[in-house]
Amino acid sequence: MSIVIKNVSKSFGDFKALRDVSLEVPEGSLLALLGPSGSGKTTLLRIIAGLEVADSGAVFHDGRDITHFTARDRKIGFVFQHYALFRHMTIAENIGYGLRVRGVAKSVRQAKVDELLKLIRLEGLGPRYPGQLSGGQRQRVALARALAAQPTVLLLDEPFGALDAKVRQELRSWLRRLHQEIHVTSVFVTHDQEEAFEVADQVVVMNHGRIEQAGSPAEVFEQPANAFVMDFLGNVNVFHGRVELGKAVVPGLEVAYPEYPHSEAKDAAVYVRPHELVIERHENGAGSIEARVLHVNPAGSRTRVELRAINSDQLMTAEITAERFAELDLKCGDTVHVSPRKVRVFVPQYSI
Amino acid sequence: MPADTIALTEKARPQAAAAPGWRAQQDPPWVKWSLTIAALAVVGVIIVIPMVNVFVEAFADGAGAYWKNLFADPDTRHSIGLTLTVVPIALVANVVFGIAAAWAIARFAFPGRTFLIALIDLPFSVSPVVAGLMFVLIFGLQGYFGPFLRRDGYAVMPYVIASLGALASLVGYFLFRPRHPSARRGLWKLPAIAGAFGAAVVFGSLVLLQQVLHVWPENASLKVIFATPGLVLATAFVTFPFVARELIPVMEAIGPEEELAAISLGANGWQMFWHVTVPNVKWGLVYGVILCNARAMGEFGAVYVVSGHIAGQTDTMPLRIEKLFQEYNLPGAFAVASVLTLLAIVTLVIKSKLEDKVSPSTGVRR
Repeated sequence: MSIVIKNVSKSFGDFKALRDVSLEVPEGSLLALLGPSGSGKTTLLRIIAGLEVADSGAVFHDGRDITHFTARDRKIGFVFQHYALFRHMTIAENIGYGLRVRGVAKSVRQAKVDELLKLIRLEGLGPRYPGQLSGGQRQRVALARALAAQPTVLLLDEPFGALDAKVRQELRSWLRRLHQEIHVTSVFVTHDQEEAFEVADQVVVMNHGRIEQAGSPAEVFEQPANAFVMDFLGNVNVFHGRVELGKAVVPGLEVAYPEYPHSEAKDAAVYVRPHELVIERHENGAGSIEARVLHVNPAGSRTRVELRAINSDQLMTAEITAERFAELDLKCGDTVHVSPRKVRVFVPQYSI
Repeated sequence: MPADTIALTEKARPQAAAAPGWRAQQDPPWVKWSLTIAALAVVGVIIVIPMVNVFVEAFADGAGAYWKNLFADPDTRHSIGLTLTVVPIALVANVVFGIAAAWAIARFAFPGRTFLIALIDLPFSVSPVVAGLMFVLIFGLQGYFGPFLRRDGYAVMPYVIASLGALASLVGYFLFRPRHPSARRGLWKLPAIAGAFGAAVVFGSLVLLQQVLHVWPENASLKVIFATPGLVLATAFVTFPFVARELIPVMEAIGPEEELAAISLGANGWQMFWHVTVPNVKWGLVYGVILCNARAMGEFGAVYVVSGHIAGQTDTMPLRIEKLFQEYNLPGAFAVASVLTLLAIVTLVIKSKLEDKVSPSTGVRR
């Protein structure tokens, strides 16, 4: 295990940024800390880097307790959200800074800087100043600067947050390839679930200073641990109902829920992703909800269909393939039957 | 649709007439011109004409007389020299304190931060005469430290300096000591021995050095009031806010991120300061120093109180001007005044040049 975090808590005044967080970052992985703003993900990253001191708990790096090490002694590369390039230094000086303060000879430094400029594909821009570069270029320079001192861990705070959509897309796949090339253990913070799923091989979902779920992107997406994770990772239809006797019941629908065999009914929510809703013209015999088509948005390969249940006025969004859409020939106002292909039932935890 | 639009415009019209922007756009030309002329007239009468007159009066008897007025009188010569001694010392002190204060305020949140900001501005709001009087009450013969400093001031100086040196070495030791036990090696593991022994060595060697080199005069009394140290203190006090005031917004605008980046890249505090902080605030600092310098050169009130205006000893240039003026030596007074005015003009030119380099939002060189 490259980085191990044990029971870390941190407060800023009354605000609890982190509550008893424990996390393991496997060697060589590319891990995403994903969560809404204020979920504590950046604080956690800064505690790993040593830029912030935890109120309690410990941080280990390669089995060594580094909780009380300064940022300088940790030898962990950190890429700031707004790059934090030294504006009065050239690109080459920026990249070489980590080597300069460690007393590396100028010739060695020069060679390393050239190598990194090549890696980030900015050869020849060494003598420029940060102000003369585009956002995407600056981001790559910031990354090269963090990599120059050969850190064993690389931390990135919202690495693509300040870039426009197209550059962001390019940099994502570039970072992915770079990680395959140099294989340094990396942790990055993002609030964009798409970004986390595309780039990372481990995703950690955070909320209110706690880790809600950690795992591979497929695990987290397919088996969300709770309603928050389900809701945060993309669009979802929520049906409110109850669970009793091994079933979850929502208006117009009944689903098996063997985890709750008791007879006492309890409030529950059934979550269905838009692409997991099946639309049919006629009732298929199994449980389905009769609904009216409100709006059809045939954008790209998938068509979004907005529906309203006739019995309960529940609003729903379904996503179907373009072929299926052509087959059904849906129009606004049509009455259809909707059934879920896959559901997830979440019973709110008892809170005392 | 058209009906809607018409209804909207009709409703909107009276509002537009009442909007505050309306009058400004409709001002007749005579308002514009009379305001401009009034402004120019005021500036001309109370700034330009008096300033030009200073030079006219100074050169009234020709360049030769001007030169003689400036440099033939030993007291005037001394006053120029004294100003050129006092001002740099006060400037250096204010740069050091200004950076420290700006750093504390811009980088840390601590109780009493707003109070400190208010305190920094205090010298601007206190009358300079009151400032001078404060120093007289502390360091004067009737003051708290005056009699002691007169008697033993120079005798205790080596020990004071040596204690400060020892304290600095102790602070440095604990500042640079690795925070975690496992990162400490050698002397870092023995704070009691290394600290005490190191401080003692620093103290002893500093005392010895000062005595061997005869740094401090013997059999002399240390005067603060009616002497150069008092002039430096008063000047530094009055001009204290300039550097800090200039630096705080610049440091706040730049933010701590570049400094944190330097630390995470392996720089120590000293390297971070010289490689990142100083280059970033460089122009703001120069700007503050220039303003500070202009004010320090011309300082009169506080210096007047603490100097005792002894000719040839504690008269700075502004005090000398006043004295020459009181003695009806108008050419002499205007000659010295012209030097101060010239310095002010030079300051103004450098200041406006620098304003191009310091962009208002970030204080950063473009």
